[in-house]
Amino acid sequence: MVVLAPPPEQHGALRRFFANLRATPARVKDSAFRGGKPDTDRTRSTFVFGNVFLHLHPVRTHRWSLRWTATMGLGIASLAAFLITLITGVLLMFYYKPHPAIAYDSMKDIAFVVPTGNLIRNIHRWAANVMVLTVILHMARAFYTGAYRAPREFNWLIGMGLLVLTLGLSFTGYLLPWDQLAYWAITIGANIAQSPREVTDALGLTETFDIGGLQKLLLLGSDTVGEEALIRFYLLHVMILPLGLVALLSVHFWRIRKDGGLVRPVDADRRLGPVHAADYPVFTEEPRKTYQLAAVVRGKSGAVARGPENTVPSMPHLFYAELAVTMLTIAICVALALVSDAPLKELANPQVPENPAKAPWYFLGLQELVAYSAFMGGVGIPGIVLLGLGLIPYLDREKDGTGEWFGGPGGKELVLQALFVGFGAALAIEAFAIRYGWLREWIPDIPQLWITVFNPGTVLTAIYAAYSIWLVKRHQSTRAGALGLFTCFLCGFVLLTVVGVWFRGPNWDFYWSPSDWPGH
Amino acid sequence: MQANKHLLLWTSLVTLALLVFAAARENVFKEWRRVQSAASGPAGPIDVHLRQVVVPTLAVADRCVTCHVGMAAGEPVVAGDPTLKRHPEVGHDPNVMGCTACHAGQGRATEKAAAHGDVHFWPTPMIPLRYADAGCGGCHTHIAVPTVDRLAAGERAFERNDCLACHKLDGRGGTLRPLGAGGMEGPDLSFVGARAFRADWYDAHLARRTEARGARAESDGEARGGAWDDSFGPLSREDRDALDEFLRSRVGAPKLVLAKATFNSLGCRGCHKIAGIGGDDGPELTLEGAKDPGRIDFMHVRGEHDLAGWLTEHFRSPATLVPGSQMPVLSLSEPQIDLLVRYMLSLRRASVPEAWWPKDRVRAERLGEREFAVDGATLYGSFCAACHGPNGEGMRYPGMPAFPAIGNPDFLAVASDEFLTSTITHGRPGRRMGAWGESSGGLRASEIATVVAHLRSLGGVALEPDARAPRWVRGDAAEGARLYAADCMQCHGAKGEGGEGPALANAALLANATDTYLFETIRRGRRGTTMLGFAQPSTVRPSLADPEIESIVTFLRSWENQP
Repeated sequence: MVVLAPPPEQHGALRRFFANLRATPARVKDSAFRGGKPDTDRTRSTFVFGNVFLHLHPVRTHRWSLRWTATMGLGIASLAAFLITLITGVLLMFYYKPHPAIAYDSMKDIAFVVPTGNLIRNIHRWAANVMVLTVILHMARAFYTGAYRAPREFNWLIGMGLLVLTLGLSFTGYLLPWDQLAYWAITIGANIAQSPREVTDALGLTETFDIGGLQKLLLLGSDTVGEEALIRFYLLHVMILPLGLVALLSVHFWRIRKDGGLVRPVDADRRLGPVHAADYPVFTEEPRKTYQLAAVVRGKSGAVARGPENTVPSMPHLFYAELAVTMLTIAICVALALVSDAPLKELANPQVPENPAKAPWYFLGLQELVAYSAFMGGVGIPGIVLLGLGLIPYLDREKDGTGEWFGGPGGKELVLQALFVGFGAALAIEAFAIRYGWLREWIPDIPQLWITVFNPGTVLTAIYAAYSIWLVKRHQSTRAGALGLFTCFLCGFVLLTVVGVWFRGPNWDFYWSPSDWPGH
Repeated sequence: MQANKHLLLWTSLVTLALLVFAAARENVFKEWRRVQSAASGPAGPIDVHLRQVVVPTLAVADRCVTCHVGMAAGEPVVAGDPTLKRHPEVGHDPNVMGCTACHAGQGRATEKAAAHGDVHFWPTPMIPLRYADAGCGGCHTHIAVPTVDRLAAGERAFERNDCLACHKLDGRGGTLRPLGAGGMEGPDLSFVGARAFRADWYDAHLARRTEARGARAESDGEARGGAWDDSFGPLSREDRDALDEFLRSRVGAPKLVLAKATFNSLGCRGCHKIAGIGGDDGPELTLEGAKDPGRIDFMHVRGEHDLAGWLTEHFRSPATLVPGSQMPVLSLSEPQIDLLVRYMLSLRRASVPEAWWPKDRVRAERLGEREFAVDGATLYGSFCAACHGPNGEGMRYPGMPAFPAIGNPDFLAVASDEFLTSTITHGRPGRRMGAWGESSGGLRASEIATVVAHLRSLGGVALEPDARAPRWVRGDAAEGARLYAADCMQCHGAKGEGGEGPALANAALLANATDTYLFETIRRGRRGTTMLGFAQPSTVRPSLADPEIESIVTFLRSWENQP
């Protein structure tokens, strides 16, 4: 048994207590920063290194990475857009009720009576679209600067995962308003998920092996879009997909650091030139620690036997850049939210199909392909595209041009040519199919399998592939082929999406303008 | 870093400015805030906040009262914009039923255009105020509405017999103050049909008159009942019946009742079904007033681009708005069109919980009472008049075969009641005449019998007794064929398929018609129609002898067994 001795000086203890109380605010502040207040280069570095939120950043950042043209800030913009949707999304969750009977009413309440509800919803919707856009552009940036190359191959794959999750998040959010737009867009989306049935039907396998039907059933929880689908989409939208995205994001950031920071040309130091006097002093303090573990790190180890690097402390240089991009993204989203309201059509009505029923804009390219062949548009071509994108870093093992925009054999001229080829081919195929129809119009009873194999989508894919192979041979470089193929893919995506968004009307017929639609 | 700092500074300032703008728009410049701040109650400016009427069982959350403050529960009389005034006195309190239950529109909205539904993607915009009573149709069924003529007869009786002296009706009358003494006003009868009235009102009135006479005699020796004598006297049976019918129709919506009566008089149900009763030639109209204007093509509509505007234009010229429409141009007057539009807009029966049903709807949907009166004139007017003419004189519409004149005495003299009943019940498959039996057109046997009786009264002719068997004719079919080709084919078609005259190669007709019917129709013809009798020669063809007519009948019979 421990006997507590009476405190020796009672008044002294009280005095100490009050002294401690007075000192508490200062001590809280001190204790918050593990290495002391970040007011010198050294303490700032320790701060970045020791802070759980900041430690994904390197302590120092290469000057090349801070140039606006190096990344255009697209990755940070995507992250900022994600954070905006996260915050506004949580706010919306306070009022949104995921049940068909009241979902639409709760949307109307958000639009009309919840204080700032409409603005929050608009910001959420615009941030989601900005996110889709910046993620795609970010991928293009990573591709064109050769950032996918070793040692960053795996992060490229993670990035593709993030793209898929981003599209998934946007798509699942699309259903929640439970209006006609949502209902029929998701119906279209679910039918795209069901598209393997086209092939199983043609092969007579649907009875035994209905993978398309199963996919749709998994997605909707039922044959049609109903309350099961709504709760599924809600759960995916507010929990499963965001958690998955955060997890993958962490890996993505982590790998940026572990793979040696952002990509830059080998001669970046030379091209940056000497440090300007106005610039923050670079690498001013000698390292305080030696890293014993550096011995087990693969590849070249840190700064051993090298002079001052061309780096600046991440705090504040990198942080200002990141904050500026974040703020720019917020400003853009808020401005768009004030200018344009998120759509909310009439209550979902399974009896009255929208005509045309259109999927969300980023899937309209696919829907355009689905119009020709459900399987190829819904599964085949997206599968080929994802596979191709995933293979690029493992096939392109070259070094030439890494870190440079359009670097590699062929360079800018090749990309320009590929733009012409990509747009030209897509435009020609679309124009032909719109003007003259396709196999079904010429031979009404042709087996569907023929169309599945041979349709505008597959023809376009084949043209792009052939062009890319030709580039590989011509430039004797896989990078050249990849540059061509990726550019063509972007062209095809943009053109098909544009056609789907603006030039397709009722029954997916071609119209120059919505004002030509019948009945309007 | 300087560039980034600048970017951060300016984007932050822009964001801040945008948010300040948004906050001001949200908190200061909202339309309803301006409306409410401009209002003042008895105790000065009113409290500015969102107001709403919530009726959970009707799924109503109506924020209309946010602007129309004077209509909200417990609000004082507010002065200012007309928007703020009280709701006019109607049968219902807006705070019990909400606003959208009657007026439609978007109750959850708080901005004018959105709330009134004048926006894209709101399928049920507000009913235009001039047709406001069409909103009653959401719940009410207004049963037993007679024809326009019957209604007008009732109104005439009401006015001619000076009822307006003591009674108020639809905002008129009730002005009499006999001998300046006042206090003689009778009850307001505007809603009497909805609330029911005593069946013995006439006897009660007579008794009151006698009583008044007695009182006067006692006081000043004159045996006159004063105002009771001036304004009330014995009424004929006919007037009393008309008054009863008229009073039953006084449900606080005189224009809507007149609109429905107009619909019932024009025979629209001959082609259009409402709530399962009517013909199949035109589209069903049960929910015509609930049509989504977003799905209507307004290209050829000259007036307002709303449902009322579309309907108005459609009644003027159906085929202009609906390509290929079968609906004839009815040559209606503008007031008639306005009434029909009103009735169409009222066809918006909503799914209301049964506990909220008014008694007329219960009577119609649960007890099977009719929305139209079931006397012969109304039934004939509702179902037959459009094709067969208001008086059975037949109709001709451009581009359609002529419709038979079924009020024709020559027809009624040979058409038995069984023939008429069977024809109405089963129709003429293959011709325009549809089946009206309960399983198809929706008329009950008793109602069909009423229509048959009404037909008889139209022609004023009884069936001529005929002792012969239904199939007594024994003629020469070959001779009949020759005569048919010479004399009948031009109008009735080479194979009896019809043309100017009705189709004769019709299984239902031949099965129902007796030989006498066919024989006499050929012999006498139908006066007043293009079918002239063949007993008399005309300028263009010789007469036919009875055996020749019999041969034709025999020939017609040869079509009976053809598919």
